Amino acid sequence: MDEAVAEYIRRTVLKIPRDEIKAVVQKWGFLSEAQLQTINFHQTKESVSQKVVQLCEENSAGIKQAAVLDIIYNHIYPDKRVWSVYQMNKAGEEIEFFDLTDFKERFKRQLRSALNNVTINFREYEDNAIWIRVAWGTPHTKPNQYKTSYVVYHSQTPYVFISPSVFKSTLPLLCQALVFASNYYDIRGMELRGRSLNSLKDIVFKKYSQNFQTYYPKPLQERNVAPESGMYRLIRENRNEKERIQRVNQEVFGDGPLPKIEFAQYKLETMFKSDQTMDVLDKKEPFRCLVRFSSPHLLESLRSLAPAGMADAPLSPLLTCIPQKARNYFKIREKKGPHPGSFVSP
Amino acid sequence: GVYAYLEMLGAQAHEAALKQEEKEQQEEKLDRLKKRVQELRLQRDELRAKVDLQEKRQLGKEGLVSEPAQPSARSVIEWKIRSLRALLQIFYLTGISGKPTKQGVCFCISTAYEGTYLDTYYVDLLTAADVQIYRHSIPVFIPLGQIAKKYLQTDIRRFLAVLSEHLNAYAGRRFQVEQLQEHFSEQIEGPLQKNSLCNLLLFKYNVSSKSKTFLLNAKLLYGDICCSLPTEVTVSCS
Repeated sequence: MDEAVAEYIRRTVLKIPRDEIKAVVQKWGFLSEAQLQTINFHQTKESVSQKVVQLCEENSAGIKQAAVLDIIYNHIYPDKRVWSVYQMNKAGEEIEFFDLTDFKERFKRQLRSALNNVTINFREYEDNAIWIRVAWGTPHTKPNQYKTSYVVYHSQTPYVFISPSVFKSTLPLLCQALVFASNYYDIRGMELRGRSLNSLKDIVFKKYSQNFQTYYPKPLQERNVAPESGMYRLIRENRNEKERIQRVNQEVFGDGPLPKIEFAQYKLETMFKSDQTMDVLDKKEPFRCLVRFSSPHLLESLRSLAPAGMADAPLSPLLTCIPQKARNYFKIREKKGPHPGSFVSP
Repeated sequence: GVYAYLEMLGAQAHEAALKQEEKEQQEEKLDRLKKRVQELRLQRDELRAKVDLQEKRQLGKEGLVSEPAQPSARSVIEWKIRSLRALLQIFYLTGISGKPTKQGVCFCISTAYEGTYLDTYYVDLLTAADVQIYRHSIPVFIPLGQIAKKYLQTDIRRFLAVLSEHLNAYAGRRFQVEQLQEHFSEQIEGPLQKNSLCNLLLFKYNVSSKSKTFLLNAKLLYGDICCSLPTEVTVSCS
């Protein structure tokens, strides 16, 4: 077995939390049950990874198997990478049959015609997600397995989720190959980025819970009425206002879990508005500034702003439109009051 | 001082509250009594109607047509509520139902295949100037844009019917794939290849005959995405 492959497998196993190594290696399926029995998973990670490499040696693991292990790792821990969403455009209105084998062939062919030194691996999952791993080399060097791009694509949809490699020049090659393989004619960035791949999918596939009004009878929720306390009749302060905030919040955000995004960025190119007397800027130029919101779970924190009393309800539509507009990077220009500008191409 | 003043205000508030409470209790009592009066009046009407009916039946024995009992206002309303509920239930069961919203209508499309209810999808429409889709939960591989372009402005009924066709067919195909994987897992060899629309299926399966087992390759093509049955099936033996 190649030294480099052995090292790669060892390093990949080391990335996995110790308690989960067994499950991941089982999912990989490259080592037999008998071989797995011989590994003591309670040892230190270093020892476990050495043992795994030893067994891989017995089975003569190659780059392909190592790449599959890497895909499985990234599929289980996708939030270790930042994902950007791209949208492809189609010329015609034909409904395609989408043959997976055909797609894979076309992708490999197109990418290899641009750059031959690449390692390309595919893995399909039950939810129709196709994971593509590409390790990049140069025209004169072999592919570097540590410099990888990942693509997740659901057949017959125009959306692609890309986690690019550090080499910026590889992104156009990747896009070109995708467009060719899936029979679209162009691709553009959607200004939607985050670490939670599943949340990004929920946003573009519209799987997050939107608050649709229906007649279908929903079980009525009991409203807890706080007991009136004490000697004097204490009335809850601002009860009407609190109820209004709840109602407005529910209309905008719904009741269910919200997709998880970590930041929203607004690039402002609007004029600075001030008193005539306080002429801060002599030139009538837009005042450029960047506003960035970040949070472990931005939409959830926005939902709790008004009930916590930190903001007025309803919140600005610039914040609440994020799931519906499927973007979290905005450009706001001066045009009879601020409104989200058009998207920026990659 | 201030504290004494606050105490006095508190006591005043307390008195005012007590008075208010009394007044409310009296009003409630009055309401209850009024309701009781109405109930008794209704009862009286019903009993009167019964008596009339019985009398007329007595007379009717001699060939006179008896008048049907006058339905009371309350039972008419109850009947209306029951039939509206039943209507809403029927609409839900037919698969397409709608509810007016502030800015338009929200339609709910339910899917089913051979008696099993599957997923529900929503389309929220704005009906201000021209009809627009405000938001929806239609899967992205269903050609909603195309269907809307053709029918949304001119014929909403047709739009909903066509969309419902697409969704039901997709739900049916997907359900069949799931059932196939569940009930025939023994016979299927290897992974089953499908796509998002479930309109192309490729799989290998075992067939035993006279103690020999054959491995067959099946390819199912669903040319019509409004249909949950394939248009082309290829079975080959490797």
